[in-house]
Amino acid sequence: MGLEQFKNRNVGTQNYKTLDLDHTPVTGMGQFKQVVSRTFKPELFVGLWVTFREMINALFRGKMHTTQYPFEKLPISPRYRAIHEMLRLLESGHYRCIGCGLCEKICISNCITMDTRYDENQRKEVSEYTINFGRCIFCGYCAEVCPELAIVHGPRYETASEQRASFSLFEDMLTPIDKLNLQQEYQGFGAVSPNADENIKKTPLAY
Amino acid sequence: MDATHLPEVTAAGVIIKAVLILAVVSAIAGFGTYIERKILAFMQRRYGPQHVGPYGLLQLIADGIKLFTKEDIIPQHANKIIFAVAPVITAATAFIALAAVPVFPDFTIPFIDVYVPSIASDINIGILFVLGMMAAGLYGPLLAGMAQANKWGIIGSARTAIQFLSYEVVTGLSILAPIMMVGSLSFVDFNDYQADGTWLVVYQPVAFILFLIAGFAETNRTPFDLLEHEAEVISGYVTEYSGMRWGLFFIGEYANMITIGVIASVVFLGGYNDFWIIPGWLMIIGKIAFSFFFMLWVRAAWPHVRPDQLMWLCWKVLMPLAVINVVITGIVIMLAQ
Amino acid sequence: MSEVQTVENMVSITIDGVEYKAKEGEYILNAARANDIFIPAICYLTRCSPTLACRICLVEADGKQVYSCNAKVKEGMEITVSTPDILAERRAMMEVYDVNHPLQCGVCDQSGECELQNYTLELAVDSQSYTIQDTKREATNWSSVLHYDPGLCIVCERCTTVCKDMIGDAAIKTTKRGGASLDKAWKDEMPKDAYAMWNKLQKSVIAPSNGTEHTNCSDCGECVAVCPVGALVSRDFVYTSNAWDLKKIPATCAHCSSGCQIYYETKPASIEDRTEKIFRVTNEWNYVSLCGAGRFGYDFENRTATKDATAFAATIEAFKKAKVINFNSVITNEEALMLQTLKEKLGVKLINREARAFQRFLGFYSEASGQSLYTLDFKEVMASDFVISVGSSLRNDNPNARYAFNNVQKLNKGAGLYFHPVGDTLVPTFGKNIEMFTHKVGHEEAALLFIIKLFADQDKLPDSVKEQLESDFVELLGGDTAKFEKAFEKMMKKKETFSLMVGEDLYFHEKAENLAKLIAVLEASSEVKVAMIPPKTNSLGVALICDLDDEAEGYTIGYNESGDFKLSALGDGDLDMPAMNQQEGTLTNMHKRVTPTNAALEYNGYVLNDIIREVASAPKETIMWTEHLPVSKGFKAVEFDSLPNHYTNDGVEHRGYLLESISREAKEISVDKFDDSNALEGEIAYRCNPQRQFNDFSDKAHQIFEGFGLYASPAKAETLGSKVEVEFANGKLTLDVIVDERMEGDIVAIPDFKSAENIYELFAGSRYQTVTIKEV
Repeated sequence: MGLEQFKNRNVGTQNYKTLDLDHTPVTGMGQFKQVVSRTFKPELFVGLWVTFREMINALFRGKMHTTQYPFEKLPISPRYRAIHEMLRLLESGHYRCIGCGLCEKICISNCITMDTRYDENQRKEVSEYTINFGRCIFCGYCAEVCPELAIVHGPRYETASEQRASFSLFEDMLTPIDKLNLQQEYQGFGAVSPNADENIKKTPLAY
Repeated sequence: MDATHLPEVTAAGVIIKAVLILAVVSAIAGFGTYIERKILAFMQRRYGPQHVGPYGLLQLIADGIKLFTKEDIIPQHANKIIFAVAPVITAATAFIALAAVPVFPDFTIPFIDVYVPSIASDINIGILFVLGMMAAGLYGPLLAGMAQANKWGIIGSARTAIQFLSYEVVTGLSILAPIMMVGSLSFVDFNDYQADGTWLVVYQPVAFILFLIAGFAETNRTPFDLLEHEAEVISGYVTEYSGMRWGLFFIGEYANMITIGVIASVVFLGGYNDFWIIPGWLMIIGKIAFSFFFMLWVRAAWPHVRPDQLMWLCWKVLMPLAVINVVITGIVIMLAQ
Repeated sequence: MSEVQTVENMVSITIDGVEYKAKEGEYILNAARANDIFIPAICYLTRCSPTLACRICLVEADGKQVYSCNAKVKEGMEITVSTPDILAERRAMMEVYDVNHPLQCGVCDQSGECELQNYTLELAVDSQSYTIQDTKREATNWSSVLHYDPGLCIVCERCTTVCKDMIGDAAIKTTKRGGASLDKAWKDEMPKDAYAMWNKLQKSVIAPSNGTEHTNCSDCGECVAVCPVGALVSRDFVYTSNAWDLKKIPATCAHCSSGCQIYYETKPASIEDRTEKIFRVTNEWNYVSLCGAGRFGYDFENRTATKDATAFAATIEAFKKAKVINFNSVITNEEALMLQTLKEKLGVKLINREARAFQRFLGFYSEASGQSLYTLDFKEVMASDFVISVGSSLRNDNPNARYAFNNVQKLNKGAGLYFHPVGDTLVPTFGKNIEMFTHKVGHEEAALLFIIKLFADQDKLPDSVKEQLESDFVELLGGDTAKFEKAFEKMMKKKETFSLMVGEDLYFHEKAENLAKLIAVLEASSEVKVAMIPPKTNSLGVALICDLDDEAEGYTIGYNESGDFKLSALGDGDLDMPAMNQQEGTLTNMHKRVTPTNAALEYNGYVLNDIIREVASAPKETIMWTEHLPVSKGFKAVEFDSLPNHYTNDGVEHRGYLLESISREAKEISVDKFDDSNALEGEIAYRCNPQRQFNDFSDKAHQIFEGFGLYASPAKAETLGSKVEVEFANGKLTLDVIVDERMEGDIVAIPDFKSAENIYELFAGSRYQTVTIKEV
């Protein structure tokens, strides 16, 4: 391949297709000519043909474009930020949240609150967790900052409900324990990058 | 059709036919909304209504229920009487126009042997009556727009006035040439003129096209639906209407579409004459259906024009063409004699 | 320590090429801090002796590596904070600290206020070179308030240092950890100091020093405050909140007259309950030490108060017919001034027993000395090297006085004399040079005469005093003359500044006037300077602002005290009042300082100012009284909002302002003759609160467990049984017997923190009473 295309520094012209637009006629004769040419050109019929063709395509060639939501749903990106989910550890089924409060801190609309306590096993227990969805702007910072990949954004975008409160407590967000096998890892912001292992420096261990 | 049939026109017959026309046409007008939505959807590769009843057929009933039960709002500052009467004018003129239009061939009801001319009233100035009635329909949108105390409505009625009045001229002039050829103002005579199988459109293609274009304007259809062009004037003269009053405008528009379809079929496309082995009644249904479909098709394909373009088209293109067409037709008739 | 900061004893030093001034004899670290130079240090605590556990404060001074917390500045000293060697040492130390330290920073209560985290980042430790097998260490609860997680502990020994040097309990110490010992191979591989530090660290862990699982201490929680990591946390606070969620409200502790600087840390109580709640109290622990009441007794707010208009109307009526207002010292200066205004305008009598006693005593003292206020504040006491305490149960009456007594022994290599009828086993443990006199009740004059005999210049004494000095006071006060003389000689070695702390016993003494005169005599004739412990929170402020009455009759309004109509911040009165953590204002503390306090919690009811505005006249806000505090008594006409409230890096306190002592003509002093026969005999009760109790408010707090009962030494308690009836001359009480392990002798203590029990009435104007105690 030559270097010609790089030598053309007339940026803005090289890869564009310019349309041959008619100039607005100024003389009476010019206007007359334009009318005549437009009248006898089949442009209008091209329009009719296109719509008719699309109808045939839709009806008989299976090219109907409609997705019949809610009976059919389009797949959404794994990075989609819908209503939050709290994940569980796959091995033990215990919730992942450690109650560190980083999500609460980073939340720019100040809508996350949590109650924690010292539990019987000398661990920090999240006794309640809530997101005020009246304020949440679904920015995803909470999922990004979460060190345990505990709070993530789920794919559940159908959030019509009689009460906002139906989504906002720990129980509502937590993966039901009987559906643990269906729990999906989150791929969005804050998820472990595919090459995470390469970036870790190992610490010596005595045993 | 000769004068011997005239005694058959009885008062009872006329009333029955009037009721039939009213019932059938308003039903078809309603059904037309369903068809319109379906056709437009298909042309955009959508499904259209499909959840109410099989293939969404009962959507029509759902809409009817909706229109009947919707709150009827009359704006505080509207002229209430005119506001209330305006939609009735539109619907009424549309239906009255159909009284002088023959839709089917005359027939005899079996067993009771009653001969029925399939026209409510075969008045000898049928065409003038129909055109006149449709012109009177202008009052509907005009009054509606002016009565509702809404600036969009005012703009809508202003557009009504210019658009309807202007295109009346084109309609009249374009249909004048066929009238000169047939020599009668009765639709039945037009039909009979074409009984030999040669449609008038063959002699008068320009008149046909002009009539069609004017028909779009008269019925307020895309690309000339400037009276209620949403993108410019909200909903024009129907801005403040809701419920069944709005429904009457709607029915009137569809009835007018059917009327235009019937006139085009009878005047230019051979009427209800048998064609080859196809019976006349089927032929005319087919023709009306196609003209209806064509209106929808055009709506799917073509964009709106601007009001100034509309006027330009009317007065600078269509009207001169129509006049020229009349003159040429006259000369040809004169030479042929 | 004891030097006064003058230009003469400033030296110039050079840190990293820049010249600075520093106090002579100061540690390099403190000198650097005072000049805003950063030297990393983990284990060092200002006001305590160097611990030398972390060794991170290593600097180069005049070409030699020294620990900056332990090396004193010299004239012309050249200091380099970081050399490559020192940086290597520091980095190695931080790596060592990070060995086996749990990485669950997310759940740690230190939550970002962690010094280990900070220094790890500051010294850019991004990899670990060292390793050793970890030892399993279980989290334990040391007491009802202390929670220790040894897994997080880096054994910097700050907690043990502060407990010993500042608090004086010495309740915790380092002990053997067990587990893996350090591989000798590391010795050659790593920097010297880092190895030494690791070697010590790996062997130790912190534990209660009495050998049991639980500390036997005053539960002050100062160890919690100084812990640089999340190892020591209060039990109530564990895992309940992150530090960053809490809003810090600067305030003054209102439990005792120390008036310590504190922060109330608040946030909404829970998800359901969004009202603000105090989660903990913190302090500027480098410059102030709290007691258990201050740190844990914070939730005494009056939550239920509302603007009850009918109750308010009734209050106005009550004030209109009131003859007497009975109140106590848990009150701001502004409120005291309001009550004084009422007295002036409506002629009501003001009754405040403890403040009145103090006011009288202070009055006698100033008449005799010509000074309106006592000479020393307790910061100066802390800086002296010989401290004497008379008339105060030091352990119970005032934590700051006790810390001062202890700090003098620990830090200034000082000595102490402790005169008190109630024996105490803690005070002698403060230092080696302490002599205790457990004298008879009523021998306080003898104690003061004895001090005059020991320290005064005989020539300066008035005759009435001089003639009383002949007797053998040591014997009289219950000591051994020969032994004492020997000990005293040793105590007096290299001593320059002398301080005397006097306490509540003297104010309520029958011969208070005589005692006050003796103190004035002592000050006039010796190096010994006096500091007084105001009996309750704002007794000093009330004594200065209000014109108090001795006796009063008639319709009485009680403000947090009993009365015919009761205003109460405890929620049990006829009209609700805000508690101290719900109001703003100033308090006058024992350091003669007027300190501002702010409202930590919402209050929805009426305040005293509203009432005063109705019955007399008052400005819109309570704090608008601040600038009207009486200048003639030493206050300043300063607006509340312009009062500062902070400490600077060199430890200088900028909180409010200091009261001015107003001089006047001193009167000729003539002292009564000491009468030996005044001593009380028989069963004696002493009005004295347990260590963390001061008033109804400390009692209301949920983390203060000390109950209302009869406190007795273990031996005495055995003879008393579990429940007793105590009969006074004018009434009786039935009390549970509570053993106070640190008490000695036969005198029993009866607390006065419950105002409803009317203990003051029973003791009838004295702190000691003869009683009959029967087991029930």
